[in-house]
Amino acid sequence: MSLLKPFSKLPGINSANILLVEFEETFQQSLADALVEETAVTVNVRLAKSLPLPKENEENRPRIDLVVFIINLTTELSFQSAEASLKCLDSGFFLGKVCFMVTNARNASVPTERLDSVRKLAASLHCPLLFAEDQTPAGVTNAAERLLTILKVTAGLVPMTTALYLSNLTRCTVPPDIDQPTFD
Amino acid sequence: MGDSTKSLLQRIIRRIPSRAIESTLRKWGRLTAEQLQSIDFTQPKWTVTQELLDMCEEGNWTLKFITELEMSYIIDNPNQGMWYAYQLMNPEDDANSVELTQFKEQFKSHLKQLVRHISLKMKKHTDEAVWIRIAWGDRFFQPNHMKPTYAVHYLQTPYVFVTSLTSKHKPLFSQAMTLSTRYQAIKDANLSGRNLTAIRDLLMRQFQQAFPTKHPSPLAERNQTVSHPRIEKEQDGNAANRLELACEAFGGGTLPQLQSAVYKLETKFRDQTNKAMTEREESFKCIVKFASTNLLESLRHCASSGFASTPVTPLLSSISLKGKNYFVITDNSPGAASQPRRAQDK
Amino acid sequence: MAASFNRSGPSDLETSSVNDQSVSSRSSNRSVRVAEKERRKNEAEDPVVLALKYFNDVEAGTPVNGNDEVEKQLVLVEKVGYSRGLSPDAISVMLEFAMSLRMGTTLCPRVLKCLIPATTVPQEAVVRAVVWLGVGKIPATTQVLFVKWVLTVFDMIDEKDQLRAIYGFIFNFVTDENLCPFICHLLYLLTRKESVRVFRVRKLLELQSKLGRQPFLLHLLSLYKVFCPELVTLSIPSRMRSGFKNHTSPWKSALLFVQKRNGSQVSSNVSLAVTVKDKTSTRKRKHHHLELPKLSSVVNKPAQTETSSSRKLVPLTQLHSFAQLLENMHRIELPSQMGSLLGSSMALHYLDCVQDESALLRLNFWLGYSLHEEFLFCSDGGASQYSEEVLQFLNRLLSTQHFLQEGFSSSEAFLYKFLTVWDGALYRPEILGLLSNIPVIPSSQIGRLLFEPLMQLFFTSSLFFKCGLIECLNNMLLKWLTWHSVYALEDDLDISLHSHTSINMTLSGFKDSVMELVLFVGRLASVGLQLEGCHSVLLSFVLDFYETACDTFLKYGLPLVLLPPSGVFYPALLASDPVSVDRLAYIMYRYKANLTSAKNQEKVTEQAFHISRQTFREFNSYIAVMANYLWNSRVFHPGMGVQLEKELLLKSNVPEYWTSFDLIHHPAFMSYAIDFHRKCWPGRKDMDLNSIKLSKPWGWYLEYLFTQGFDGLKLFFQGNVRQQKAQGDGQGDSTPTQAR
Repeated sequence: MSLLKPFSKLPGINSANILLVEFEETFQQSLADALVEETAVTVNVRLAKSLPLPKENEENRPRIDLVVFIINLTTELSFQSAEASLKCLDSGFFLGKVCFMVTNARNASVPTERLDSVRKLAASLHCPLLFAEDQTPAGVTNAAERLLTILKVTAGLVPMTTALYLSNLTRCTVPPDIDQPTFD
Repeated sequence: MGDSTKSLLQRIIRRIPSRAIESTLRKWGRLTAEQLQSIDFTQPKWTVTQELLDMCEEGNWTLKFITELEMSYIIDNPNQGMWYAYQLMNPEDDANSVELTQFKEQFKSHLKQLVRHISLKMKKHTDEAVWIRIAWGDRFFQPNHMKPTYAVHYLQTPYVFVTSLTSKHKPLFSQAMTLSTRYQAIKDANLSGRNLTAIRDLLMRQFQQAFPTKHPSPLAERNQTVSHPRIEKEQDGNAANRLELACEAFGGGTLPQLQSAVYKLETKFRDQTNKAMTEREESFKCIVKFASTNLLESLRHCASSGFASTPVTPLLSSISLKGKNYFVITDNSPGAASQPRRAQDK
Repeated sequence: MAASFNRSGPSDLETSSVNDQSVSSRSSNRSVRVAEKERRKNEAEDPVVLALKYFNDVEAGTPVNGNDEVEKQLVLVEKVGYSRGLSPDAISVMLEFAMSLRMGTTLCPRVLKCLIPATTVPQEAVVRAVVWLGVGKIPATTQVLFVKWVLTVFDMIDEKDQLRAIYGFIFNFVTDENLCPFICHLLYLLTRKESVRVFRVRKLLELQSKLGRQPFLLHLLSLYKVFCPELVTLSIPSRMRSGFKNHTSPWKSALLFVQKRNGSQVSSNVSLAVTVKDKTSTRKRKHHHLELPKLSSVVNKPAQTETSSSRKLVPLTQLHSFAQLLENMHRIELPSQMGSLLGSSMALHYLDCVQDESALLRLNFWLGYSLHEEFLFCSDGGASQYSEEVLQFLNRLLSTQHFLQEGFSSSEAFLYKFLTVWDGALYRPEILGLLSNIPVIPSSQIGRLLFEPLMQLFFTSSLFFKCGLIECLNNMLLKWLTWHSVYALEDDLDISLHSHTSINMTLSGFKDSVMELVLFVGRLASVGLQLEGCHSVLLSFVLDFYETACDTFLKYGLPLVLLPPSGVFYPALLASDPVSVDRLAYIMYRYKANLTSAKNQEKVTEQAFHISRQTFREFNSYIAVMANYLWNSRVFHPGMGVQLEKELLLKSNVPEYWTSFDLIHHPAFMSYAIDFHRKCWPGRKDMDLNSIKLSKPWGWYLEYLFTQGFDGLKLFFQGNVRQQKAQGDGQGDSTPTQAR
């Protein structure tokens, strides 16, 4: 199993590379379309269903600045696949270059335990956990915008900050145990 | 007599949704223009029914009229009950030359010989299909119009589709059917569903099927995904491959709407961790049922998106390949070795 | 029971539905009586009247089978029922006839089905029928049918006080397995705070252990819990599917039809509740919680002026003016759908001043439930969002909260949950609006509930969101401080912030919460400014916040002064736009005013608060930095906040680096200096900005700046900087006046 390494390649000038990992391969497409709209920076998007990535692309794959795991809460498989893929990442990525993006968090059919385990996973890896509304165009644009905010930092394009610094501020904390809401 | 006519009419109207009453009545054609005009269809259904009942009384409508109404409604809205498919076997030489009038006469006379009290009605629909409505009686009772059996037979094909046929009447129906179509036997096709056209398409192979080929399809599927030069798919080949395999198994294009597939397992229990069950002599019986609003579409999506492994197991793909949705799996059959997985239905 | 069967009820009601009771009643009574007589004469021949008379008088035990008379009369009544609806009196007669089983059980369901009210259902009839339910041997299905009918027409029952009086009697029916779901729904509609009793709770719990967690039981129990949390210890699951199904089916179409037909005659508030229900069940299931039911009550009869009126309840719909509200304050009848209150300003007035908790509790219960259902447990995973309906609902909620000047506790609980799954864009303005309305959170909770989710959102979102959030937090602080200044009791320094839910908070607890909030914004602002490259728009929102925060003592009487962190101070001081510098100067001026007055008070009164030495020291150093930077040209002076090594500064090759942030060379003011130079020495070709530094032109330059609208600088200058004119070299050396 080949590990994906964050620092094995040199960065390009004024460019940022993001890898979107999603088991369902639906949201990542629309997200990628929104991400490449960015004009200030050249954003390259790589899409994958799961890790590890195929060896044959190794050559022309640029240095990855941010790995995003998209987890659809309505299926258990989505979470399991992301969990398995994490093992194929070099530990260097966990210094601020990994983030989780969750969709369908407000869906009634989602068991609360699943969201909790995603939170626990993100918290244990000190990664930020973002929520996205993948069903509406506005939600997709917003999700892309937020990823760009992080990406620009992790690609070293924002002066005075580093990926680690930002992830320290945004990382998911221990799952809050907000008690069952009472309607009073 | 008059009472049963009225209650039948009442029952039929109850089945028809309010907004469809007017169109159904027009289609029926037994009401005069004035009569149709006089009914206010914006009223509650209850009142409309009352008015129709009054007309029924005045016009002295016979039972025949009412059954006509029912039939025309059922033909237009067939997806209301469970339809079961049957297949005729071993055709006689002249099976292919049976034509409508001959079939009608034969069927009627065969059935009348078997049952004394029976009410039959046949109608040829536009697409080669003969619609048959049978109200069963028996030696002592008049035909029961409240629970009629409907059957659809496509002339010159070995297929019959039946709804609400009781096991008591099944032998009678089968016999009349085989004799009048010049076949020797009839068997259950192990296919059922709520959507008549869907099971017909499935059984008569009237949907777009994909066949396995060694050569990559010339379709432009691959090109669709390349939307932007800066977006790159790492595992591009896999997705296209999965889609191809899924289409091979279930067919491309829109698939017939099937609601369920049932697998009856009578196999030995195999699980290394569970000794007690594995060592049992008798086979382990269980029924696995897949249900969805559109089962084939769901399965194809599962396979193409990677939820279910590809190539698709013959257990699932044989639904569309064999046109069946009820399977009995025993240890002898080759497909039984693998335990069916629980795929997630969309 | 008089035989005046008034079929054309609606039109009369229309004409007399004015609420004026006191003056004109006597004169109008006469004419009404005359009209009554007239009508009675006309109706004597009406077949329906005769039919009703028949049912009223028919003897018990009359056979049904082969009785053409009954059949004929019943068909007559049915026809009227289905076409125009039955008048209140007719409903009384028919209900009595059916439930008393005078002619056996066979006719009963048929009669019930045709009981479509044209206007209202008299309460007495329902009460009598309920009594029959206990007495007669009515078959189970018919019993269920009857309760379903009551549920369907519930909003059309003219009054509910007697029904509530027999609450206990109705409650007994919950033990009946067939009736239980429907009785629970009925009880749910009738329950008031005083009806919640220990033994009833016990009974329901017992039932629940027998029948399992049935949604109808859970719903009733959760309502009980809302009223008396101490009695119901059961935890109610957060996800409950709607517990009560619609029971309108047998009457739905008929009722709709009758209403459509009578629509033009009856004022529109007849049984809207029912129509709304119908509409939602078919057309828009998705947002069925968000449709505000119209404020409805069927009783559009004016309350009678007889003696009995003293105990009669007045529905809110009848009140049209504030004066009327005041008059009837003690006998307001709340509508059965509490959500409708949001839409009516009269109802909000009532909510605002009434002491009765139950109204607010019921509203909160409904609101919390709908918010959760709609935004946290969506059925379709959030597709078809952004609909007009949802926006309207949220905006209505916002305007209600603005009207009441406080947030609902249910919307608060909802927000805490919602923030943890928010993407930061969905309904952003509305959510931030709601967020700014939440009441003070204890400082032990504030981090977990508010800061953690907000921090993640803040740092991963766009500049636009950052500005929006800072503005929202500014509004939150403003509201908290305003509440404090309104509710703080002067004597014991103990404040009750929330007039309705009576959450009491000690002054120190409140201070802690405010402090947490201000410090939190300080952190957000420092890092946010750093990430965004000190964007001037963000800076402006941050300064907005500190304009509120600097005045906590003088303006809101809260003994607390918190300074901005240097991460905010320096970006503002060194900003490239003069407005930011000016605003910073104003903020520092206000801080000084607050600190000095706090200091003075400390001297006067014993128990005044103590401001730490640290705060003064920090403030003084800020003042010193500002004076040294802007006036004294002593940038990077040793002993100040920002220090650089001398060698490094020399290496940078900036000539006279120590002057580079004074009012002449400061990037924000340079253009003013140049302009001033041109005006001062119009003839001079070579520009020498340093010549402004001389004593006389320096004074003029300051005057010039102050005339450009830099009031903040002016106030700061007048308050803090002493001009030392004695020095002969002309260099105006200013020293900051220390606050301590």
